[in-house]
Amino acid sequence: MRPISRLWVLLIVLSLVLGGLAGCGKKEPATIKIGIFSPTTGFAAADGTSALHAAELAVKFINEAGGINGKKIELIHYDDAAKPDQAVSVAHKLIEQDKVVAAISGSYSGATRAAAAVFQEAGVPMISAYAVHPDITKTGDMIFRVGALADVEGRAGGALVVDKLGAKRVAILTIDNDFGRALTEGFKAYAIPKGVEIVLEEKYPLGETDFRPLLEKIKEANPDVIWATAYYAEAANLVRQAKEAGVTAQIVGQEGYDSPKFIELAGDAAEGVIIVTDLNRDSDREIVQKFLSEYKKAYNLDADMVGASAFDAVQVLAYAIEKGGTDPQKIVEAIAGIENFDQAVTGPILRYTPGREVVRPIGSQIVRDGAFHFFAEFTDPELITPPW
Amino acid sequence: MITQNLVNALVLGSTYALIATGLTMVYGILKILHIAHAAVYTIGAAVGLGVFNATGNFWLALVVAMAVSSGVGVLIYTGVYRRMLDAPRIVPLITSIGLFIMAQDLLQKPYLLGPYIQDFPARSGLPGWRTPWFDLPATGLLIILLAAAFLAFVYLVMTRTRLGLGWRAAAQDREMAAALGVNINRVIALNFLLGSALAGAAGVLVGVYYNQVFATMGDVPSYKAFVIIVLGGMGSLQGTVVASLLLALAETFLIATVGFVLPRDAIAFLLLILVLMFRPEGLFGRR
Repeated sequence: MRPISRLWVLLIVLSLVLGGLAGCGKKEPATIKIGIFSPTTGFAAADGTSALHAAELAVKFINEAGGINGKKIELIHYDDAAKPDQAVSVAHKLIEQDKVVAAISGSYSGATRAAAAVFQEAGVPMISAYAVHPDITKTGDMIFRVGALADVEGRAGGALVVDKLGAKRVAILTIDNDFGRALTEGFKAYAIPKGVEIVLEEKYPLGETDFRPLLEKIKEANPDVIWATAYYAEAANLVRQAKEAGVTAQIVGQEGYDSPKFIELAGDAAEGVIIVTDLNRDSDREIVQKFLSEYKKAYNLDADMVGASAFDAVQVLAYAIEKGGTDPQKIVEAIAGIENFDQAVTGPILRYTPGREVVRPIGSQIVRDGAFHFFAEFTDPELITPPW
Repeated sequence: MITQNLVNALVLGSTYALIATGLTMVYGILKILHIAHAAVYTIGAAVGLGVFNATGNFWLALVVAMAVSSGVGVLIYTGVYRRMLDAPRIVPLITSIGLFIMAQDLLQKPYLLGPYIQDFPARSGLPGWRTPWFDLPATGLLIILLAAAFLAFVYLVMTRTRLGLGWRAAAQDREMAAALGVNINRVIALNFLLGSALAGAAGVLVGVYYNQVFATMGDVPSYKAFVIIVLGGMGSLQGTVVASLLLALAETFLIATVGFVLPRDAIAFLLLILVLMFRPEGLFGRR
């Protein structure tokens, strides 16, 4: 080993120590760091990108208006590819490396569930923008949801199909994952006690492109309504092939269909499809129209429900931080204490339940002339209040 | 209902046959597992979509896509595989996988296909075919007719031309064929050209049939095509076509009767296991 001069050793040690000390100052951070994880690669890239863009838009609006109590928000995003293991490692990064004040999940249920456990353990508040699975909020008192709970959305779907559409015979097609199964459970919980006959029930794998054999079975079963849970790619294939196959039953979808891509890919087969979703394009509330037009201007694409939910997650967090500061317990208290919060695009948040779910009207849209339009709204407290 | 399912299976099987035939042609001569074939398929779809969006002409899009795909295929051979002909077989395999992944990642860039699914609302000008027993939409009819035409063409080339003779000789024994005067490089390059053109056509047709083109659309064909050529007997044209149709029938009728007890793609693997257990040379392979 060549001897290094003692001078060099001294210099190296000195620079390390000074470098370490430089990071040790008890300075006030200049920005408020909010983390967001969403899939910008992989099969869910469209939704993840939408969530990210909408969140960035919300941050932009808030910062342009002066930030939160004078401080700007810094949004830190990582891609989780909608994979639970990746979401977990990203959560650790946000907590330990970036030291975020709170985080938003712009991802799917599987990944969100996994990450929620990490945030709960670390005592960092997390809001799930649009992931519907019940277990997410059950993780702990740091975890909130700003989107609809699968149970509530499913039951509202049931009310839509049974009460509003008057269907007696229903075929159920469930995408085989957390999202699809939870929605269908909610739907059945409402519809079956009301005497609806489930003439056919099938599940299908995520990513399936060819529904033709199933559609033949559905034709034989002759339902009034098809309750089909899906994301936009599967939904587009389903409704197109249904039209081709001559299926005349009304197709009812959910928020997974809520994307301009669904209409684009399904073409005129999308016409008349009804979905349960909380982004009301025809809303006369100012925040909704502002969001829709600014999003279109900024990203040259129509906004979707996923984006609206991510936008709302930022809005809720910003409100909570403004009210209570960056202390996690105060943030949690502020969110839990929300009442009649009108600055949410997906609907005025009436309040939060003790289980940290939103109570707010559940909407429904129909595709007319190639665009989503208002179809129905459900405000019955029994229907819209989550069970926990 | 059964007749409708049969017709649907025929369309599906035709798309499988178009993709798998190119693969079997390459394997037959080079004994290389050409995973990048699925990238050629996706590139064909992407190019076809681009040309259609620019011109509104489906047939032009198809022709250009096939031309570009065949070019890409030949490039892959001359630029990559040719240098590895004497290397252990794992070398071209890994390279092929690398090419495939690279191509997909490139296609996902925003200036190419991007992360979203693109629609492909092309019309071929053909009518649909409605009968009391089944309904065949225009794109389905197009797929069946084109697949039949292309496969018949390949069969004729394979059996009635000198080129085809050269292929079959090279497939049996490359060195001997070369020694006997077959221009091996030319024969293989033409082999890639034709097989890749078929893959490009398949990409366009599948893109139009489902109205969806996206960078990762080659994922399932990348392994399903292999299952098909093993089922049919690697290197056998007839075997590939028969296996394609059989697989499509199995998938369709299984789903039509018991639903998705397994994801559709798992059915292919189940069949593969059965074939490997009881007839490993495939349906038409030679022992």
